[in-house]
Amino acid sequence: MKKLFAVVKREYIQRVRTKFFVIATVLGPLLMAAFTVVPALLMGMKSGGPTRVVIIDQTGKVYARVAKELQTGRERPAKRETPRPTTQPAVGPGESQEQLKQAGRMTEASFVVEEVRLGDRSLEDVKKDLESRIQRHDIDGYVILPPDLLKDGRPEFRARNAADLFTKETIESSISKAVRSQRLVDAGIKEEAVQQASEPVDLKPIGETGQESKGEGSFFFVFGLGLLIYMSTLLYGQVVLGAVIEEKETRIAEILFSSMRSFPLMMGKLIGVSLVALTQMGIWGAAFLAFSAWAAGGSSITLPHVPPMVFVYFGVFFLMGYFIYSTVYAVVGSMVTTTQEGGQLAMPVVLMLVAGFFLSFNIIRSPNSSLAFWASMFPFFAPITMLVRIVTETPPLWQIVLSLVIGFATAIGLIWLASRIYRIGMLMTGKKATIPEVMRWIKQS
Amino acid sequence: MDESKPTLVLNHVRKSFGDFTAVSDLSLQVRPGRVFGLIGPNGAGKTTTIRMIVNITVPDSGTVELLGQRMTTALQDRIGYLPEERGLYKKMKVGEQLRFFAELKDVTGKEADARIDKWLAKLQLTDWKDKRTKELSKGMQQKVQFITAVIHDPDLLILDEPFSGLDPVNVDIMKDTILELRNANKTIILSTHQMEIAEKLCDDVCMINRSHKVLDGKLREIRRSFSRNAVALQFEGDDGLLNDPELVASMRHVGEDLEVLLGPGVSPQSLLKRLVDSGVVIRKFELVEPTLHDIFIEKVREAA
Repeated sequence: MKKLFAVVKREYIQRVRTKFFVIATVLGPLLMAAFTVVPALLMGMKSGGPTRVVIIDQTGKVYARVAKELQTGRERPAKRETPRPTTQPAVGPGESQEQLKQAGRMTEASFVVEEVRLGDRSLEDVKKDLESRIQRHDIDGYVILPPDLLKDGRPEFRARNAADLFTKETIESSISKAVRSQRLVDAGIKEEAVQQASEPVDLKPIGETGQESKGEGSFFFVFGLGLLIYMSTLLYGQVVLGAVIEEKETRIAEILFSSMRSFPLMMGKLIGVSLVALTQMGIWGAAFLAFSAWAAGGSSITLPHVPPMVFVYFGVFFLMGYFIYSTVYAVVGSMVTTTQEGGQLAMPVVLMLVAGFFLSFNIIRSPNSSLAFWASMFPFFAPITMLVRIVTETPPLWQIVLSLVIGFATAIGLIWLASRIYRIGMLMTGKKATIPEVMRWIKQS
Repeated sequence: MDESKPTLVLNHVRKSFGDFTAVSDLSLQVRPGRVFGLIGPNGAGKTTTIRMIVNITVPDSGTVELLGQRMTTALQDRIGYLPEERGLYKKMKVGEQLRFFAELKDVTGKEADARIDKWLAKLQLTDWKDKRTKELSKGMQQKVQFITAVIHDPDLLILDEPFSGLDPVNVDIMKDTILELRNANKTIILSTHQMEIAEKLCDDVCMINRSHKVLDGKLREIRRSFSRNAVALQFEGDDGLLNDPELVASMRHVGEDLEVLLGPGVSPQSLLKRLVDSGVVIRKFELVEPTLHDIFIEKVREAA
C-alpha cells in the first residue's frame, strides 16, 4: 500500500508540474469553446453590419408590417427568456433546431429596410436600378412583393448572397407573418385581436418526474459535456500510454518490478494520472463557476446554469471511462516500443470511444429510446452516452446505477487482465508483441 | 566464512520461454561477506537467473531461498538490484528520483533523506542533487542508479555489469564501494561477461553458458585446480632447448611473454635449471595461473 502511494505521488507531482499540464489547463476551455460555440457563432454571424434590404411593395398594403417584423423579429428570443430568469434557457433536446436558429438570430445584424415605390416607372426599370445599387454595395438585396401576394403570389428575393440561410429565413418568416396579419385584418378582424392572436406560446418542457424538466442546459452545453469527456479520456489515455512506454523503454520497469508487484504498480500509475485529470477538471469547473458568477452579475453573456449534480456525474463517469480506456492504453503501452505503434494498436478500442461520442448525437434527440438505453449500458460507450442522457432527461436512478456498476466492473476486470499482461510485456524488449503472444502471457502468469 | 549460512540458495532452478530454455537446473549458494561472480557470455542466462532471484519472474521449477525463506514480494526489500540496462526517470531531479526509489523499498521520511545525502556525498554527486537526471553524464547517471540499489541497505546486492560506461576514476570508486560493502558482511552478486573484472573482485564464481552451469566454487581453488603447468618467460639468447618435445608441449607468444606449456612430468624447476645451464639471460620467469577466460573456454570445449 505504501508503495502504491509512492507511485501515485510520483506520477501526480511530476505531471502537475509540467508545462504540458499548465498549457492544457489553460488551452482546454479555449479549445472547448472553439469546438462548440464558435461554429454556432460563425453560422449565425453576418459580417459587415446590418442587412440593407429594399422592399418593393406592389400590394401597397403590407410594407409597414413586413418592415416591422424584420426590425423587431429578433427581439422575440429575448422576450421569451424574460419570464424565466431564474432557470436556465430551457431548451429540450427536440428543440435543437430552434436553438440553432436562436443562436443565429442573436448574433444576426439587424435589418435596415427601405421602401422603393414604383411610381410611374416599370418594375424592370426599378429592378435594374436596384441591381446597380447591389453592385455598388449600396444595398444587400431587395424583395419584390407582387400585387397578388395576399392571394397566392410568390415574393422574390434577390440578394448578393442569396444562399445566406438566416437572412433568407428571417425575410421569409417576416413576410409570412405580415401577410397572415394582413389577411386577418382584411377579413375584418380587429388589429388588436390580430396582435393578441399572434403572441407566440412558450413551451414548458415537463420531465418524467412531473416537474418542469430542469438542468437540461442547451444543446451546446450537452454536446460540450460529451466532447469534454471524450477529449479528456483520449488525452489522459495518451498520457498513460506515454508513461508506460517511457518506463518500458528506459528499462525502469525492471527496477520497479524488483520492488513491487505489477498490480499496485499499474494501479498507482492509473490513479496518479487520474488525479492529475481531476485536478485539471477541478480547475476548469471552478473557473466555469467563477465565470458564471461574474456573467450573472450584469453581463450580456448568459452561461447555462449547471446543477451541482452534473459536476458529480461528470466526475464519476469520467473516472469510469478513464479507467476503462487507460487500462487498455497501459496494456498496449506494455506491448509496443513506441507511442506511434501504441496509437495504432489502440485504434480499435479508441474507435469505440468515438462511436460512443457519435451515438450521443442521436441520444440527445431521443434520450429514452432503446438505443439510448443499451448504448448507456455498454461500458465502452456509457461514459459519454449515459452522461448525455442524465443531462438531457435524467433517466431512472436504477439505470444510472446499473450503468456505473457494469462500467466499473468492466474496469476492474480489465485491470486484472492487464496486470497479467503488463509485467511480461514490460520486460520484453526490442519488438512489438503479437496478439497470440499476449494470449500466451495471460495463460502463463 | 564457509560455515556461515548462505544468504541465497537456488535449488534446481529451471526457466524456459516457449521452446527456449534460459536456465536449466541451476543450483548455487551465495554467502555473506563475499563477492559472488555470475559469469558467462551474453545470452548465457545471467539476467534470467537474476530476475528469478529478485522475484521479477518465477522459476518453472526449483526454488529460490533468501535468508532461509522462499522468495516472496516482501523479501524483495532485502535485495538491491542494479540492472544491466539502466533505467531512471530522465526528467526527475536526482534527489527526488532517489527519494522515490527509496520509498519503493520502504525507506521513508528523514531516514531516506539522510541516506540519500550520505550516498550522494560518498559518490561525489552532492552538487547534482537538484539537477534533472538527463543533465547528468552517463557515468554519473550510473552512480545514481547504483545508489538506488543500495539506498535501503540491502542484505543482498545484485550488480549486473556495474562497470560498463564508467571512466577509470569512477571504476575505482565503484570497486572500493563494492569491497566496503563486502567487508560490512553484505552479500554481493556481480554478474558480468568481462572475466578480467570478475578475476579481480570475486571471491566465488559461478560460470554459466547456454543456460547450464559450467563450474562454480571459490575462485582461488578453481584457478589452482586448472593450473596447467605453464610458465611465462622473457629471456635473451638461444631458445633451441625449448624445441625439446620432452620438455615443452607447446608455446605461444602472449604480449612480450613466451608462454610455455610444460611436457608431462616436467616441473617448472627443471625448466629453470635447463635454461640457466644453457646460458640464456632470464628476465622473467613466472608460473602462469590460468585466467578465468582460459578456464571458461576449456570447460565449454569439454562440454561440447
